Amino acid sequence: MTDYLLIQALNGLTIGIIYAVIAAGLTVIFSILRIVNFAHGEIYMMGGYFSYFAIALFGIPPLLAVIAAMLTSFALSILAERTLLTPLYSPTTERKGDYGILVTFGISIFLRNLALIIYGPYPLRPPSFFAGALIAGPLIMTWDRVFAGGAGIVMLAALIWFMQRTPWGEALNAVSQSRESAAIVGIDDQRFYMLAFGLGGALAGGAGALVGPIYSLSPSMGLIPDTQAFAIVILGGMGSVAGSILAGLLIGISESMFIALFPDPSRSLTYAQAFSLVILMIVLLVRPTGLFGRVHTAME
Amino acid sequence: MRALSWCGGLALAASVLAFPFLVNAYWLSVGVLAMFYAIVTASWALLAGYAGQFSFGHMAFVSLGAYTSGLLVKWFDIPVPLGMAAGVVVCAVVGSGVGFVGLRMRGPYLALFTVAFSEVLRIIFVSEVEITGGSGGLEVTPLFHTRSDMPSYYLGVVLLAASLAVMLALVASRWGLFFRAIRENEDAAAAGGVKVMRFRVLAFAIASAFAGLGGGYFGHYIGILTPDIGSVDQMGLVVAMAVIGGAESIIAATIGALGLEFLVEALRSYGQWRLVLFGALLLLTMRFARNGLLALAWEQVRRVDRMRTSRRAREVGE
Repeated sequence: MTDYLLIQALNGLTIGIIYAVIAAGLTVIFSILRIVNFAHGEIYMMGGYFSYFAIALFGIPPLLAVIAAMLTSFALSILAERTLLTPLYSPTTERKGDYGILVTFGISIFLRNLALIIYGPYPLRPPSFFAGALIAGPLIMTWDRVFAGGAGIVMLAALIWFMQRTPWGEALNAVSQSRESAAIVGIDDQRFYMLAFGLGGALAGGAGALVGPIYSLSPSMGLIPDTQAFAIVILGGMGSVAGSILAGLLIGISESMFIALFPDPSRSLTYAQAFSLVILMIVLLVRPTGLFGRVHTAME
Repeated sequence: MRALSWCGGLALAASVLAFPFLVNAYWLSVGVLAMFYAIVTASWALLAGYAGQFSFGHMAFVSLGAYTSGLLVKWFDIPVPLGMAAGVVVCAVVGSGVGFVGLRMRGPYLALFTVAFSEVLRIIFVSEVEITGGSGGLEVTPLFHTRSDMPSYYLGVVLLAASLAVMLALVASRWGLFFRAIRENEDAAAAGGVKVMRFRVLAFAIASAFAGLGGGYFGHYIGILTPDIGSVDQMGLVVAMAVIGGAESIIAATIGALGLEFLVEALRSYGQWRLVLFGALLLLTMRFARNGLLALAWEQVRRVDRMRTSRRAREVGE
């Protein structure tokens, strides 16, 4: 039993890292554009399929396919941002919050149903990154999970490096603190809205590509990770990247413990989906500013 | 202009009443569904468009009303109208509960909370197979034991008309003014003496009750209920109907729902493309005509009318 729990905890850890990547993308978008992106789960789903088709159609090796998925998700996000989100920056748009909610919700409906037509409703499973499993004593873990966890950590580290050590990252941070002040010191905010939305999408797409071989791909795969990412972002504090990473791990592990310990195994899988939703509802009720929230990124 | 809108209204009412005599059985059943979507969309427009509370859990209340009524009729053998009334009451109570806990949330937080609520409810309906029949569906006593859909259709017309009358009276009253004041600026409304808490909860409870009414009607018409009615995609369809018609006007949203439901069926041969199309139409409407296509069309009519009046004035002047 303890071995089983330990394996579940390790699985939860890798999934938690993936959640953290998704949530970090959501956080970047939120802290710059000040919108809650309801289409984030669908970009994650698209990333999974992009990676699958990069492998299946063009014969790209799985590792490069992850990068290809990130690039295409980046491009897709920027396309969505340029065509649909520009009214958010215009002073003549009334009630921008409502606009953001409805438009991103519309994008999610559009992409999910488009995926249903293009890819079909049947789950697809991309090839493994590395076949086989890591066996250490009683612990067994597939190499895909190990790789996904490792690659997720690399993505998060790269994000933190980018945000804190590069001029573009600093400019993003400046825009997130105050649009007006950033404009005064000569930062073209339009460019950085684009960059932030693209960056968030690339992280979601990368996470989707990593998850592909572990779970399989389906058009509705984005729904649950999307709410999980929301729970993580809010628990970690809106706008705090480090907070989302911690909260991601916390939720990943507690979720797999919930599955392992749920008394009725026939229902544990469906109720596991409800787990993160209930967490999200509790967090929204009890501590909407999260554990590590920053004041200036509060939602208007 | 006034005459024009009266004529339009009368023509619409006449075509709604004469509809069953003009079409075959298939399109009549589409008409019944259109009535259902119109009730649900109008009440969502009341909640989101008027009161400014973006709930993505509206279809959850539809399924709650439908399952409550279906199960009560099945277990206790009560008459169907009583079951539907019970569904409305349950939705009003749960709706005021959700509205109350949602009080501390604004905008996107409330939207997130209601999405989560809606999915949790759907998962419960899927999982508790012994009670709800799960994804296999729950058999529900039909409303009318006739072969024709005509009684169901006219009941739908009556329910829709009554719902619209209540909602329109509501938004024309002081309460409607309070709803809009809260939508525009909560703090300013509170400073102006509006009891923000009370009216936010009230808006939620009323809209949810209408969703429950729609749900009960739908369940007893369709005869078999699945948790899918409360899915996010169904919610997307209702949001698309409201936004494309015009979410800030209950009448526009209703017409949007009626129009889109018929469009859905007319495009049936395109199957899956429909939701993609509506997603795209929703996005285009939001991007370029935020007040809805109906408001856009109305604006055009008025412009033509103004031009004609001014030309006539000029001619008279000369």
